[in-house]
Amino acid sequence: MITVGADDNVLMARVSAGELSKLAVLFERHHRGLFRYFISLNRDRQLSEDLVQDVFFRMLRYRSSYDPTKAFTAWMYQIARRANLDRVRDKRAEIVGIEEFTGRNLEPVSAAPGPEENASAGQDLGLLRRALDLLPADKREILILSRFEEMKYEDIAAVLGCEIGAVKVRVYRAMRALEQIYFGLEKGKAS
Amino acid sequence: MTCEEIKPLLAESWAGALSPQDSHALEQHLSVCEQCRAESARLGELWRGLSLLPADEPGVAVRERFYESFSAYRDGVLYRDTSEHGRRTNLRQTLLRIAAGLALVVGGAGLGYGLRSNQASAGEITQLRSEVGSMRQLVTLSLMQQQSASERLRGVSWAYRAEPSDTEVLDALVAAVNHDTNVNVRLAAVDALRTFGGNRAAREAVKQALSGETAPIVQVALIDLLVDLKETGATPQLRRVASDDAADMGVRQRAEWALERLQ
Repeated sequence: MITVGADDNVLMARVSAGELSKLAVLFERHHRGLFRYFISLNRDRQLSEDLVQDVFFRMLRYRSSYDPTKAFTAWMYQIARRANLDRVRDKRAEIVGIEEFTGRNLEPVSAAPGPEENASAGQDLGLLRRALDLLPADKREILILSRFEEMKYEDIAAVLGCEIGAVKVRVYRAMRALEQIYFGLEKGKAS
Repeated sequence: MTCEEIKPLLAESWAGALSPQDSHALEQHLSVCEQCRAESARLGELWRGLSLLPADEPGVAVRERFYESFSAYRDGVLYRDTSEHGRRTNLRQTLLRIAAGLALVVGGAGLGYGLRSNQASAGEITQLRSEVGSMRQLVTLSLMQQQSASERLRGVSWAYRAEPSDTEVLDALVAAVNHDTNVNVRLAAVDALRTFGGNRAAREAVKQALSGETAPIVQVALIDLLVDLKETGATPQLRRVASDDAADMGVRQRAEWALERLQ
């Protein structure tokens, strides 16, 4: 019986206890978020889809290591982070930082509407997307987890292996860096 | 509060996680510091803008691939669990057969006829078992040659059904561990090699695979398997990994742990 309203932790605990079918519920809940996380890091649709598979495969394989007293999403993103690092190592690919982007003709990874179509609250969302893509990977990652995945800072601290205070400071710094890039792009567009 | 102390509070306020006390402190600071007030407004607007960005969506094939791989993995686990239960049941049945045989000897009646009948039936069972074994081997090997990683994963799960003496399936698993491009298939093949743990060639293959593997998750699985198999001959390979500066720190630590366990 599918437990639609069950808490993620409860579901994963049941997977861990041998009810493997409960993983399907967790997949339906989280595969989009994981895909967004990966594609924001690597900008590669195929690789991101492969990584989503990797995460769920690893969750199955290491299900007995899951501690139900800890947040499921933190555990899942720890696995996701590890899977991404392994792929980067495997493919000799890299998570591209801002320096490497300088001078590149960057194509947005999403099929988002153009800037003219979605200007809102005085912001150009197309430019904001480009600014986000231009952020160094570590800053982009923390914004994805906190803003897009709406994870609690204490859970992000568990994913990144740092103190909660450090997470708050890093979120602030990431926003400052985003602001600088955003206004830099805006200035370039105006001139 | 200083401007520096306010920064983490700004991050908390964006996430809606400020305590009433910190909220009051932040408001107080912003009311007297124009620079922080302006920055808070600008960054707050950007924070809200981020939530308006359209989300990238995965393709529909992601779901299909997940359910294929999931079903292959589950089949493998279920088969493994069932066959473990089966082996226990077989042991009980064997003991019962021995007891029944003894009873028959003691009774001494119809012994010659019984033996002839049993020989005929044992021959049929051997032939049937051989045919089933060939079919499993065929399915395993053909699936493991597929282009799709999900199909190869399914092939690996079929390997659990193979006889531990089936060298062709063993070779296919070793080839998957060494050469498959998909890390999940390599990982599943390492797990399946456990079934062949009693085979000297399998143990050698695990040791050799450790030297060539680069994905940390597979390296750790290989190390764990060597420890489970109590493969004391793997010390040179484990030492190499433990002292390899280029290796992942977690893998090096696992190799050190394995060396201690195998001493």
